[in-house]
Amino acid sequence: MTLRALIARLAPLLACLGLLAVWQIAALALNNDSFPTALESIRAIPAILDDKEALINILASLRRMAIGFGTAVLVSIPLGLLMGRSRGVASFFNPLLMVIYPVPKAALMPIIMLWLGIGDLSKTLVIFLGVSLPVIYHSFEGAKAVEEKMLWSGAAMGLSAVERLTRIVLPAALPEILTGCRTGLVLALITMVTSEMIARQSGAGNILFNALDMGQYDTVFAMIIIIGAMGICLDAAFERMRQRLVRWSEPQFDIPLSFS
Amino acid sequence: MNLMPSRSDLKVEAAPAAKPAIPMIEIDHVSQVFQTSSRQDHLALSDISLTIDAGAFVSILGPSGCGKSTLLYIVGGFVNPTQGTARMKGSPITGPGPDRGPVFQEFALFPWKTVLGNIMYGPRQQGVKAAEAESQGRALIEMVGLKGFEHFYPKELSGGMKQRVALARTLAYHPAVLLMDEPFGALDAHTRTRLQNDLLNIWERDRKTVLFVTHSVEEAVFLSDKVVMMSRSPGRIKQIIDIDLPRPRRRTELLLDPRYQKYVVDIERMFDDAGDDGLQP
Repeated sequence: MTLRALIARLAPLLACLGLLAVWQIAALALNNDSFPTALESIRAIPAILDDKEALINILASLRRMAIGFGTAVLVSIPLGLLMGRSRGVASFFNPLLMVIYPVPKAALMPIIMLWLGIGDLSKTLVIFLGVSLPVIYHSFEGAKAVEEKMLWSGAAMGLSAVERLTRIVLPAALPEILTGCRTGLVLALITMVTSEMIARQSGAGNILFNALDMGQYDTVFAMIIIIGAMGICLDAAFERMRQRLVRWSEPQFDIPLSFS
Repeated sequence: MNLMPSRSDLKVEAAPAAKPAIPMIEIDHVSQVFQTSSRQDHLALSDISLTIDAGAFVSILGPSGCGKSTLLYIVGGFVNPTQGTARMKGSPITGPGPDRGPVFQEFALFPWKTVLGNIMYGPRQQGVKAAEAESQGRALIEMVGLKGFEHFYPKELSGGMKQRVALARTLAYHPAVLLMDEPFGALDAHTRTRLQNDLLNIWERDRKTVLFVTHSVEEAVFLSDKVVMMSRSPGRIKQIIDIDLPRPRRRTELLLDPRYQKYVVDIERMFDDAGDDGLQP
């Protein structure tokens, strides 16, 4: 392995270490009670992960996130694809979505709690809403961009309208759809935490904000690290799956350029 | 302008009795009106009547904007004519179907499928067993000269190779008519000639009916039995020229053949009158 390739491989690790180093120095310089150093925060992590109740909380969060994300993807992809291929469907849903898009989904949380209580359902619904919009949007754009003649070729082979949607539009738009899903995954994590900030009861956000209330700042920052790590792991896992699914659309060769 | 009265008369007399008298494709007084972006009606095709016999290689030649592709799309069933009807073996064309296989200038391959996957797609759709579709697919890949590229994705292929795959993909489901929409228009001159040669070789094996849209006079004369010359604004058939050159045709021999040269020059002169000055709306 060349030095350049080695650096490229280690870059993510170096970035994390660099961030921790900056944090450490900044915390030492500010010397503020509410800003623990990186080392203090890292030291607080094992205590959280050893605590059974904390683990149950975190798993409950992940479960809501998985259900919210999964149902959102299952509903949003077909809707987005239909919108992309049918002007009627698009002009019906577009205004609705444009109204919902800029609203921070967590801001809906208090209203939803009034209707559905503070339990799992409200939080899952908020995650669902947070994930839906980018997935719908990207599915819509992906479906719209499908080359017309590809659909004609399919029609000549005898594919029905539904088959053309599932067997041509869906795979052709998949790279774009997965870009939306990746954004959706990050948003799922964000809405997961914020929903738990508003409706304290269980979850990773619950631990974080309870610790904040009690002034346990090392636990607060330890939870931030844990949530951040969850984000990195989820994204990396998703990215691996994505690359496997849409290998056909990725550039094939890296031409070594003489300049950069 | 009624160019082929004798043929349509013949059809009326003989159609009920003898099968061969039913032409493969009949275009019957077809007109097509499009709305332009400024909401004006644009007459793309005006009263086109044309008959294509089974096994004939017919080129539609004309300047850009003469509606030649539109005519092909009508035969393909992708576009419904504003007036008139197109018929295939006597029955009206109402939509696309596997009896008419298109090959587009844009290739329109399925990028998520390999070369083999693309070619097997049509037969699989028609219920051919995977193993059989694969062996037929491999034979087609060999025929279009892409052996060794079975598992490549379209992205990894050059333009000429993509068009070979597109041709094989269409041939794979055995359409009775090939509809080729400027198939070599996006290729460089060298690749273009090679594909023309290969297309002729393939065609001479099973003599499918081919409707071939092009704006290249040489290409039309080299390939066709019949060249349908169109003019534009509105799109009309200007003249139908029978290309009476022996087959199999060899490009190098034809280039020296005075009959070939005369066809090219005559049609090119007609082309100049057909309005390809780019000045008309």
